[in-house]
Amino acid sequence: MVHGEEQWTSGAGMAKMSRRTFLSRATTTMVGGIGALMGIPTVAYLVSPAKARGGLGVDRLPLGPISKFPVGEPTLFKAAIERKTGWVTQTEELAFYVFTEDGRNFSAMSNICTHLGCRVRWITDDEQFFCPCHSATFNKNGTVASGPPPRALDQFELLVEDEQLFVVGKVEA
Amino acid sequence: MIEKIDLWFEERMGWRPIWKALALRNIPKVTWAYTLGSATLLVMVNQILTGILLTIYYVPSPQDAYNSVSFITNEITAGWLIRGLHHWGASAMVILAGLHMIRVVVHGAYKFPREVTWFTGLGLLAVTMAFGFTGYLLPWDQKAYWATTVGTRMLEVVPVIGPWLLRFARGGEELSAVTLTRFYGMHIWVLPALLMLLIGIHMFLVVRIGISAPPKASETEEEGPELEVEA
Amino acid sequence: MKPEERSEYLEEYAEDKKKGIPFFPDAVFKDVLVGLTVLIVLIGFAYFGGAPLEERADPSDADYTPRPEWYFLWLFQLLKYFPGNLEFVGVILLPALGFAILFAMPYLDRTRLRHFRSRTWVMGSMGVAVAAMGFLTVQSMIDIPLPANVTGEINAAALFTEHCSVCHGTAIEIHEGTNLHETIAGGHEGMPAFAATLSIDEIDALSGFLVSPQGGAIFTANCAECHDSGDLAAVSPFELQAALSQGTGYAAHADLDIPEWEEVVFGQDRTALLNFLLAPDGQRLYGLYCSECHGPAIDWDGDRDQLEVLIREGGNHREMTQWRDVLPDSEITLLALYVVEPSSSPDGEPLFAQHCADCHGVRVPTAVDIETAVEIIADGMSHRSMPLWGDVLTEEQLTALTTYTLDASRGTPTLIGQALFGRLCSTCHGDFGEGGPHPSDPTNIIAPISTAIYLETRDDATIRAIISKGPSEGMAPFLESEGGPLTSDEIDALVAFIRAWEDDPPVEFPPEIEQGPVAGGSRQVFSTFCAQCHGEDGAGGADLVGPSLTSDTFQNAYSDEELFASIDRGHSATSMIAWGDVLTAGQVEGLVEHIRSLVSRTIVYSRDIEPIFQASCSACHGSLGGWDSSSMQLVIESGDSGPAVIPGDPEGSNLVRSLRGTGMQTMPPAGELSDVQIDLIVEWITGGATEEVTIGGEQAGGSAYTWTVDVQPILAASCGACHGSSGGWDAATYDSTINSGNGGPAVSPGNADGSSLAQRLLGNGALMPPGSALSDDQIQIIIDWINNGAAR
Repeated sequence: MVHGEEQWTSGAGMAKMSRRTFLSRATTTMVGGIGALMGIPTVAYLVSPAKARGGLGVDRLPLGPISKFPVGEPTLFKAAIERKTGWVTQTEELAFYVFTEDGRNFSAMSNICTHLGCRVRWITDDEQFFCPCHSATFNKNGTVASGPPPRALDQFELLVEDEQLFVVGKVEA
Repeated sequence: MIEKIDLWFEERMGWRPIWKALALRNIPKVTWAYTLGSATLLVMVNQILTGILLTIYYVPSPQDAYNSVSFITNEITAGWLIRGLHHWGASAMVILAGLHMIRVVVHGAYKFPREVTWFTGLGLLAVTMAFGFTGYLLPWDQKAYWATTVGTRMLEVVPVIGPWLLRFARGGEELSAVTLTRFYGMHIWVLPALLMLLIGIHMFLVVRIGISAPPKASETEEEGPELEVEA
Repeated sequence: MKPEERSEYLEEYAEDKKKGIPFFPDAVFKDVLVGLTVLIVLIGFAYFGGAPLEERADPSDADYTPRPEWYFLWLFQLLKYFPGNLEFVGVILLPALGFAILFAMPYLDRTRLRHFRSRTWVMGSMGVAVAAMGFLTVQSMIDIPLPANVTGEINAAALFTEHCSVCHGTAIEIHEGTNLHETIAGGHEGMPAFAATLSIDEIDALSGFLVSPQGGAIFTANCAECHDSGDLAAVSPFELQAALSQGTGYAAHADLDIPEWEEVVFGQDRTALLNFLLAPDGQRLYGLYCSECHGPAIDWDGDRDQLEVLIREGGNHREMTQWRDVLPDSEITLLALYVVEPSSSPDGEPLFAQHCADCHGVRVPTAVDIETAVEIIADGMSHRSMPLWGDVLTEEQLTALTTYTLDASRGTPTLIGQALFGRLCSTCHGDFGEGGPHPSDPTNIIAPISTAIYLETRDDATIRAIISKGPSEGMAPFLESEGGPLTSDEIDALVAFIRAWEDDPPVEFPPEIEQGPVAGGSRQVFSTFCAQCHGEDGAGGADLVGPSLTSDTFQNAYSDEELFASIDRGHSATSMIAWGDVLTAGQVEGLVEHIRSLVSRTIVYSRDIEPIFQASCSACHGSLGGWDSSSMQLVIESGDSGPAVIPGDPEGSNLVRSLRGTGMQTMPPAGELSDVQIDLIVEWITGGATEEVTIGGEQAGGSAYTWTVDVQPILAASCGACHGSSGGWDAATYDSTINSGNGGPAVSPGNADGSSLAQRLLGNGALMPPGSALSDDQIQIIIDWINNGAAR
């Protein structure tokens, strides 16, 4: 065979390289290029959905003008949000007890008992949240008053803008 | 280092003779036109890879198909690229396979001893067209739906069994969820299996018999009508 | 190739190989370089061309012009050259032949020669084939060629090219008597309705073009230089006639260099031209030329021939009396008033009946105003305001006009539609389409269909489809062929009526209607929901939709399971909805029992019960001692553990326990009786276990509440969420409702005051349910139930 006898000189004073070696290396490099061109998008494509995180599913959830919230008594408000997972959109209902002492500062807490997830309700006479499942009670600010629940009711972060109240997220414990 | 790894594998797998037989063999001097076949092969690999990736999010049902394709295209990172490569790859495959075939005809490469290679090549072309036809429906958009409606209706003109063929292709009288799933099944299971079989034979023959050498213009002058055998 | 040629080739090839290059890396380098280039080009296409995705597939959108992928276009185009029966050749034969030739290539081209210069015919035919495919592909990409019968550039032809030729090819064969205008506007047999896409003038131009291609050719040859066929679509037939017959004598043609028409366009051709310009479409002709004087429809009780003569002869029809010779002016005025506005002038009615009804029938002719009406009545035969249509219309146009006028005289579509709507639709959609709660499913609010936005966003074809086929749920299909009560024409009328709202929508804003979940016992549920279709007593009725539930046929035809299934899942073919969506399983069960209790049934021991015992029990019992099933008395009184049957108390009867498998042992040992049979025996015992037992009936209007029917639904809805799993009192079953409870049995039958259940509900002690008491009605039901003995 005569191949390999031709000598190729690469520029800039590099060592002499046989045609065969050059072709081999160029081929390997290009195969690597093809691999990268297809491999990198593949990884990005596969990893993509893992980037989605939980949360409210919306930036902010409007609850309405602040004037409609009764002062001094926690009141239950319900809001439907659309949560999109992949290409499927589901409607979920979120419920909050919204509480304000002065009509300016608001707090919102979940109506889900932190014990086993029953729905608590506000008993006006007792000034407490009552969970019918195991007779647990919570204070007005959501802390546990009696019964088995391990922690206070979950709180939500609120935002007042243009006299409108929005829920903007969960308060992380 | 590489040599060591190479040796480690060689001792355990003994793959060097195979590599020698496949890669270090001599082939006749070829022109650039001879790269058309391997380019088709590369696009085929591209189709297989991107096709597999698409099935990760795609759902073959009339409710979900369009939404999942739209999800891939618009929301998944590089989804547009994967779908784009699959979409354009389909056209590229038809073009490259067509050019490859023209090259083979021009060189008379279908002649002895490569007849079987030619037959499997034709089979591959038919499979490629079938891929195109079945894949067209899957996004379940307007173009997909109506083009397949018209495309399957062509079957109806076959005498006697035409209406039956139509119902067979569609899985019923009308284009429906059944049509979608059977096209999907064809596209990702049946046709790939056929493709693998045919490409296997095709590639085996390319290595075993070798690719044809570009014919020399001198052949006509050398040979009179008596067809003397050269010593 | 001959054997020696083959071996020669192999030798030559071995030589080539020896002088060749190594596959790796030389050839591989080229392959990979090209491969990389191809991949980059593909990525470029994906980046700049994207991954195309059109609108979601819409099987009901037949406007879409389908196009296959580009590499099938040549085949698609090929089809256009093989119309009709020859299609097979284009679709199957030619491609198959092409493929067969490819397969046979090694045997067709069998010389040893391989260089293309020595294989001219192969190269030639391949070139021709490739060129042909390229040509066909390009051809199908550029515009579809014009129909064969058109040469000029005229409006209708362009419309045809755009809208029809995709499916119909270059020409359509029109069957005689086809109402083209209606077919194009409304669609048929898979053809889309073009009413929304094309204007009336365009549809007209198109139908003229189709029905009279010859007229199109004449027009193109003679008129198209100055006229566009669309411009002439609504022109008066008198003008057309005049223009045709007077030649340059016609004012508008006076100064033009046009030939004498008599020499250019002759009899048949003239008809063709007129038909082309003014399509024989009755509705259109009526709308253009008749409605101005006759209103939306004339009143015609006579036959078709008379009507045709009337239209043909127009003002010449002389049968009508000159009423001014017969009637005093005052009466003529009265008649005129009555004719213009019947309701405002009831005095005219007897006059009309006396003088006019003989010819005009019961329908009152219309006139635009009183002056016109007076003039027509007074002049009678000599009212010559009506043109002699026979002179200017072609036969085809006259026929179409007569047909339409005759149809329309049966009432305008809007009027017919209004009557139909009142009869069939207003129950659910309201008199003005305002919607409201579904009468048989109050949780389902029917949205208004008469708002501007609703009507704007739905074309006639859509509304028609909704009425014909019914939407996915709630509404039954109304078209005859879909199993409904209406003919195609009637549905058109309904659509016309609904469409008439668009000018002045009766509903501006959708009313806000909210509906809570369904509660209450089965009697209440029945009277709220079932009674609307089946009657309060369940007996059905002539004016009710549902069948009688109390007939013997009904009661005997279905088992309890089947009744349950019917209520739970509904019937897709009728307006019976799936109540399982609205009611709980307990409520449906209650309904089944309620339906059974609607009728009094007589169970005759010897007829109904004895055969069961004979078939299933007497083989053993009767000879082996113990319980004996051989007579009614023995059935009741015998038994190893005392009497097997306690009349009136099936639960306490050993017989029932054994049959149900709740006692010591299940009987019959070989296999249980069917539920229907056991129920029958239970009912017989409940009714007193005598020869003839009457059950049911008396409960229908009665006051005795039972646990299953009345109490359980309340408890399940309000208490079951907590009680039943958390210990303490349990409302899950009858027994647990009575007997469980933290402080002893919650219910003491007959004594509501002493039952903790009733007391807690009333708020004596901690109120139940916590924070929100039951309604007074519900509490009263439970107290009454306890006081009456807490019946199961």
